[in-house]
Amino acid sequence: MSTSAATTLEWLLRPSSSEAGIDRETLAGLLVELARSVEPEAVVEPIDVRPVDPRLEQLRTLLVGQEIEVLARLRTVVEDPEQLAEAVGRVLPTAIASSDARLGQVLAPALEKATQRSIRNDPRTLINILHPLIVPAIRKSIGEAIDNTFQSLNESLKHSLTWHGLKWRLEAWRTGKSFAEVVLKHTLVYQVEHVFLIHQRTGLLIAHVAAEDAASQDPLLVSSMLSAIQDFVKDSFKGADQQGVDTLRLGDFRLWCEAGPFAMLVAVIRGNPPEDLHEKLRDVLTRIHTDRRQALESFDGNSADFADVEAHLSECAALRQRSSRSRKGFPWLAALLGLALLAGAGVLGFKWWQQEQIRAAQARVWAAEQLVWTEYVDKLRAQPGIVVTQSVASNGMFEVAGLRDPLAADPQRLLRDAGVDPKRVTSHWQPYISLDPQFVLERIRATLDPPKAVTLAIGGDNILATGTASHAWLQRARSVAQTLPAGGPALDLSAVQDLGEGPLIKLRDEIEAKEIHFEVNGSLPAAGQDAVLDQLAAELKELAATSAAMRVGTRVTLTGHSDDTGPGTLNLSLSLARAGAVLALLKKRGVDTAPISLHGAGPLDPLEAGVTDAARLANRRVSLSVTLDGQP
Amino acid sequence: MTLTLQRKICVLGGFSVGKTSLVRRYVESIFSETYLTTVGVKIDKKTVELGDRIVHLILWDVAGEDDISSLRMSYLRGSAGYLLVADGTRPSTLEVALSIRQRVEAEFGALPFSLLLNKHDLKEQWAIGDAEFEALRQKGWWVRSSSARTGENVEDAFTDLAARVAG
Repeated sequence: MSTSAATTLEWLLRPSSSEAGIDRETLAGLLVELARSVEPEAVVEPIDVRPVDPRLEQLRTLLVGQEIEVLARLRTVVEDPEQLAEAVGRVLPTAIASSDARLGQVLAPALEKATQRSIRNDPRTLINILHPLIVPAIRKSIGEAIDNTFQSLNESLKHSLTWHGLKWRLEAWRTGKSFAEVVLKHTLVYQVEHVFLIHQRTGLLIAHVAAEDAASQDPLLVSSMLSAIQDFVKDSFKGADQQGVDTLRLGDFRLWCEAGPFAMLVAVIRGNPPEDLHEKLRDVLTRIHTDRRQALESFDGNSADFADVEAHLSECAALRQRSSRSRKGFPWLAALLGLALLAGAGVLGFKWWQQEQIRAAQARVWAAEQLVWTEYVDKLRAQPGIVVTQSVASNGMFEVAGLRDPLAADPQRLLRDAGVDPKRVTSHWQPYISLDPQFVLERIRATLDPPKAVTLAIGGDNILATGTASHAWLQRARSVAQTLPAGGPALDLSAVQDLGEGPLIKLRDEIEAKEIHFEVNGSLPAAGQDAVLDQLAAELKELAATSAAMRVGTRVTLTGHSDDTGPGTLNLSLSLARAGAVLALLKKRGVDTAPISLHGAGPLDPLEAGVTDAARLANRRVSLSVTLDGQP
Repeated sequence: MTLTLQRKICVLGGFSVGKTSLVRRYVESIFSETYLTTVGVKIDKKTVELGDRIVHLILWDVAGEDDISSLRMSYLRGSAGYLLVADGTRPSTLEVALSIRQRVEAEFGALPFSLLLNKHDLKEQWAIGDAEFEALRQKGWWVRSSSARTGENVEDAFTDLAARVAG
């Protein structure tokens, strides 16, 4: 029987083979087994069992069809690793959350090992995780340590030479504390007046304790406003780290904020607290977090169950350092030492002051000189034909370099005008030709030497010539105009009138064709010359008028001649007298004689060579020559 | 024994919808209104008695902006609920209030809130139709017209919100 029972169990535990349907032989065996347990004597053997009977299958589906379906679904989930993972993932957090401490105990060693291995493999991972947490904390701690050192150094220095300073030294020696510590103990007078414990997330007040005689506004509002200000600072100054406001100072009051994960401790301190008070506040905050972590995390505005926290806060509010009642000692030692030092320092100081004064005066003078120099250089730059490429003022010396057109203003003269000492100035000027119209004009004037009748002036970008000039001058001017550099100002000669083509030349030729004849030895014109003189006078007047109109200067020379008879000196004076006589007669006829000059040629310039009377008659005469200005 | 609770409540709404005057007359305040322009928020307190409980609503009056993108969302952190204020004479402010609600919901999830359509004393300029009003109520929201001048529904708004946030 026991064997059969075992077989049955084996069958039940066998994995299902739904594909094969129900094993009818085994079922028959089972039924026989059951029959035997009811009726042990029965001897029944299953006979003629058909391996498959669809009716049984139908029966099974009818009875347990739903369960089969559920089982199939569960099987798919269990056998598919992805689905299984998803299903376990859904319940795992709840399982962990609701499990008791045992799960933690089971997991801890594995987690520890995994963490150790991870750190051994690559410590950087852990460093990267801890870096943002640890570095600000270290930085803050170092900062506070330094502040603390400075504070104690400051106070020690301030009090080391006073009478009570000496007493404190004695106290330090007696108690075995450092002098700085004793000084801080006596000098830092402060009182923590309020302590707020503020919930970080909501800004709501968890607890508040005030010192006995401290007054304040509604702490509920104050705490929320403090937390708003923290948010405001964090939002407004993104560069600042996310720790928010650390210290606020307003006159005699200081607000020291210590931020914890869930709550912020704010102490309102009156006076001058020692830096290590930060440490004390942080201690209290850490203790509160340790004791009431759960309650802080789930704080919902009900502060009733935080009564015990107030005890911690009262600890902070009790922090104070009262001013020592000891009489302020007069620092005799310091006074004496101070006096000696003062005397020494006074002498040194006076000498130093004197030198400083001199130095300052020199600096002022140099600054003024530099200003003058700058003005001079600016003036140079403004000059046409001067290009300043470099100007330096250093060590009391000046240097200027650049290009200068030889026609430009003299830099040395400008230097004297500006009031700069030329001895302190080094100048380097490279000559160059400026295309400034002013210089081009000057250059053309120097080259062409224009006659009075010609005016050269700057017109627009060019040089304009106007007036009247001889043909030869015009030709020279044209060739000069052609040699001017392209792109620069051009010489425009189109407005100059050529003398060779004008009415003056005709008049000149007519006047020069006239001659006044004389008798032998006669200094007055021979009879019948009046008509010639009249005409000559008329022509000279016309010449004067026309030339004045054309702005051409004229010179008229009256040359007296004689024949070759008689002594030479007589002939010379006679010839000059004849010229004078004609001049007088012309003047009488209203001719302006100013531009007329006289010349006696004697017999040296005969009209006709020969000794005949006719030739001599021809030679006794006054001839005229006309020179027009601008003519060679 | 009475239970004292604190709840952080933000007062939100577009520019010059009367938020500040709404709270000015009905709350305890120690900070001046310049805080709104400097820090961007002003803290006031409204104490509401609910049976045996006293609820201190710590009101964060956040500076009104019509451009809701510039709303400082960090001030809403930790709020138990909020009071939305719109100006009933300017329908555009209702739109601003609704978009603020959407933004708050997106960032902090669904929080209890009350919607006040303010300036109801200006009857002749009132621009919110009954149908529109009813549509807002149909959403299951606590919506009331209010007036800082007459005090209409102001106390109710605080009491009701206090009851909802105090749980």
